[in-house]
Amino acid sequence: MSLQLNGITVTVRDGRTDLIIVDGVDLAVAAGETVALTGPSGSGKSTLLSVAGLLLRPTAGRVTVAGVDVTDLKDRARTRLRGTTIGVVYQAANLLPSLTARQQVEVVAHVNGRLDRTARGRVVELLTRVGLEDRLDARPGELSGGERQRVALARALMMEPTVLLADEPTAALDPARAAEVNALLLEEAGRWGTATLLVTHDGADAAGADREIRLERPASIVV
Amino acid sequence: MYVALRDLRAARGRFALVGLVIALVAFMTTLLTGLAAGLVDDGISGLRQLPLTQLAMEPSSGGTFSRSVLTEENLAPWRAVDGVEASPIGVSFANAKDPRGKTVSIALLGVDEGSFLATRPEARDALAGPPGLVLSHELKEEGIEVGDELVVAGSDIRLPVLGFTYAGSYGHVDIAFTQLTTWQQVFYGDSARGRFSAVALRNEGGEEVPAATVARVDRAAGTETLTKTEAYAGSPGYSGETQTMSLIRGFLLVISALVVGAFFTVWTVQRTRQIALLKAIGASTSYVVRDALGQMAVVLVAATATGAALAWLLGLAISGTDVPFRLELMPVLGAVSLLFTLGLAGCLAAVRRITRVDPAGALRQVD
Repeated sequence: MSLQLNGITVTVRDGRTDLIIVDGVDLAVAAGETVALTGPSGSGKSTLLSVAGLLLRPTAGRVTVAGVDVTDLKDRARTRLRGTTIGVVYQAANLLPSLTARQQVEVVAHVNGRLDRTARGRVVELLTRVGLEDRLDARPGELSGGERQRVALARALMMEPTVLLADEPTAALDPARAAEVNALLLEEAGRWGTATLLVTHDGADAAGADREIRLERPASIVV
Repeated sequence: MYVALRDLRAARGRFALVGLVIALVAFMTTLLTGLAAGLVDDGISGLRQLPLTQLAMEPSSGGTFSRSVLTEENLAPWRAVDGVEASPIGVSFANAKDPRGKTVSIALLGVDEGSFLATRPEARDALAGPPGLVLSHELKEEGIEVGDELVVAGSDIRLPVLGFTYAGSYGHVDIAFTQLTTWQQVFYGDSARGRFSAVALRNEGGEEVPAATVARVDRAAGTETLTKTEAYAGSPGYSGETQTMSLIRGFLLVISALVVGAFFTVWTVQRTRQIALLKAIGASTSYVVRDALGQMAVVLVAATATGAALAWLLGLAISGTDVPFRLELMPVLGAVSLLFTLGLAGCLAAVRRITRVDPAGALRQVD
């Protein structure tokens, strides 16, 4: 399995009480597979995505990426893995305001010390794949919502990640644009053989995935 | 500095604004450095250029010549020391009237005939002759010429101008050398009884007289020996001026550090989610810190260099005027480097904030 979560529990301290956000979730995504993670608000979908993206350490449970248990890795190693193995598409595109579309994707290679001619070629290739070959030098303010999400998708795929995580990537788009971006995401994930975990509220988005996992249980309080 | 340089271009208005403030501080710091050096020059350049290393003075005079009165009894033990050159010197202030009736202020330095203090042959020759004055070059610009007779106010002694020597001043007044006996006549009249202000000292090799010798001879001679630098404090207004200038420069540097620190802290707060995103896509903390520090350094270097360069140009324009201003590369570089270093120190709060940004913050919107 490219991504495996076993018994993941996330608890946060809220005053004198502990709030259980995610309670013992098991989940596995194989290479080339797309799993839709659905559920009501507060069911812990985004928190689980943060755990899978190595942005948050679980209170209990194990995280395995590409067959390696990464749960107890030090921060530096987790940072390295985030850069090279995991791509994330956020709910809002989260683009850097001063960078052009091309630079938004290039910066991933730069922070990982791999910005060379090959990488620059891949940037153009990715942006062309997502239909932005004419918008390479446009800044976020000059791009539409759909175009920004396309840039974010290209950025997430830049380092050829083993795992692609998408946190409601079409939530801020109108239905037509949302369908377009979602189709593109699934197509690209399939094309690169990436294990994709897609958090979504949208039934249509989930229908395009290979499997759907539904988180029902809302956060519970432990005194 | 992939993101930092692009941020600089994208937010050039904001960076130009803080750059302007830093440039103004650098401008004022450089200007004050030049003014401080000019004032110091005005205060002690005449003393600084004398080829002595120490001055033996009356104890507790604190380098103030008017408070120090020595006689032959104080001089003799110094003259008896092998390898030490000791020469009496009289220092006082006077007003003198030139033939055109114009009054000039002079710091009158009485020097013994053949003293090591008169290094130039023409000065030696002049001082070996009949009573007269060897003036600082600055006084030439007052229209005084060789052969003019100056009347020293108070004593009404008429002294011909024998020549001119290096430009120098003491206590913000141009210096004038004369024979020690003439100085005594001007200052004490007929009751001089061989009195003078201090004993100028140096080793025969030109180095400082060793501390052990100084301590021993001071006891025997009843003197207190100061280094040349220590004696600067005795120049009228010297300590007050240098301390005031240092205080103003200190305030400017602190203000600059605070402005720079505040700007970059606010800038960092605004960029928190961007930094989180960079960390989320694999940027290490050292990467984002290097990026931010590089950005701060670019702003600081560009602004301080611009401010200092403008002040340097202004300094060149005013250095020929009556404003005491002297530009020297090293003090200016020192002041600018200090400004840069304190500016970076001011950024530490911002850097600290950067190291604490949680990459999970990338899950929130940045654009």
